[in-house]
Amino acid sequence: MDEEQGEAGLQNSEQAVEHKKKQIVVPGELITDERKKLGQHVFIENGKIYSDALGITYPDAGVAYVVPLVGIYLPQSDDLVVGIVERETVKGYMVGINSIYPSYISADKCRDMLSKGGIVSAKVNSVNEINEAELFDVRVFYGGEILSVSPAKVPRIIGKNGSMLAVLKNGTGCNVVVGRNGWAWVKGGDVAKLIDAIKLIEAESHLDNLTVKVEELLKAKKVE
Amino acid sequence: MAKKEEKKDYVKSGKRLDGRKVDELRPIKMEVGVLPNADGSAYIEWGQNKILVGVHGPKEALPKHKQNPYRGLVRYVYRMATFSVPDRKNPKPGRREIEISKVSGEALEHSVFLEKFPNTAIDVFVEVLDSNAGTRVAALTAASLALADAGIPMKDLVCAVGVGKAGGEIILDLNKDEEDAPDAVDIPFAIMPRTEEIVLLQMDGLLSRQEWQKAAKLGMEGCKRVFEMQKEALRKKYGKMEQVSEKK
Repeated sequence: MDEEQGEAGLQNSEQAVEHKKKQIVVPGELITDERKKLGQHVFIENGKIYSDALGITYPDAGVAYVVPLVGIYLPQSDDLVVGIVERETVKGYMVGINSIYPSYISADKCRDMLSKGGIVSAKVNSVNEINEAELFDVRVFYGGEILSVSPAKVPRIIGKNGSMLAVLKNGTGCNVVVGRNGWAWVKGGDVAKLIDAIKLIEAESHLDNLTVKVEELLKAKKVE
Repeated sequence: MAKKEEKKDYVKSGKRLDGRKVDELRPIKMEVGVLPNADGSAYIEWGQNKILVGVHGPKEALPKHKQNPYRGLVRYVYRMATFSVPDRKNPKPGRREIEISKVSGEALEHSVFLEKFPNTAIDVFVEVLDSNAGTRVAALTAASLALADAGIPMKDLVCAVGVGKAGGEIILDLNKDEEDAPDAVDIPFAIMPRTEEIVLLQMDGLLSRQEWQKAAKLGMEGCKRVFEMQKEALRKKYGKMEQVSEKK
């Protein structure tokens, strides 16, 4: 499970490490008038590339892209998500995943029956043209609670190769599974401390040396 | 017997009633992310106008027959608080509020990539807490900020300003006294600044062709000044980062 999360977090944070020069852009702001490959959250008009979101761009990068600072979650294939079972249908379950629509899990893909209100993690199998998702690879959680974070900050909470998540787990003793949709399942350990650390990450996700700051925060709390 | 109203000088030696120049805006203050329970929010103080905007969504559009499988909807709700005007305002949505909701929502629709969110609706709630002329342009400016704060993909921000005529002079950003002038013309003017596309334009009163051209030029310049303030307001929320990168 942890390895999978690491991969998901890698996509954004690896790009961030490569290029030091950062710039905040607002929607409609020019990123470059050069010809570049188009990444996420950009659009092209009359040969120029513009941002479509409030976010951070790296002008030196070979690909023009914007890492959004805010945003809702739209499911994508292979994302790991944490969800809550909302209702049962004839052949499966509808699971809320903090997106526009609840997503569907076929009963064939579940080893046990799910119950309404239960917490599960699953992978996104496919997404249709109106952003409805179908899930598979279900894992059921017993006990614990769900923390809600901004979906745009999830890559920072996981960190490169899951480094930040490892820091959080070691520092608080919590059992944590972070879904790409902005919900995290937490059980045991010092949850209050974890919430403090996550708040710090959310507030300063656009700054550098975040892992060090979080480590310091967790250490400082231990002494008390 | 009612006294005959004194004739006011709306522009006297380049200065207006409140001491502004002909092409000067009222003091404007913008802030984003003020409502924790909304997906995106903004607060604007534009002269005496005070407006709160909250954005929710995109979410499933209900009732279902309103859904469009090709694009999302923008549901813009403009309301004035009962205490926002000198006399108490009836809280029932009136003709004026319904009209403003319609035209402002359509103005915002031009700026959002709605085709990315089929079958959904984006709710924009505007609450005018205090008003003194030009609330619809202030509300539209703040609504665009709130959409950006919600992380909704947009082609451009929408910035708006009022232009018009009072006492025979073309002036920018009319206040209530100027709007009540006997020959007053009021034009809410909203653009997308990158392409200079006009997304909202209304007018009551009469203007000559020359006057209109002058007003349009003034409005375009005013909008661009508002746009700079919008960008600053959005960046201010993440201002710390710029300090860090400057050190490097």
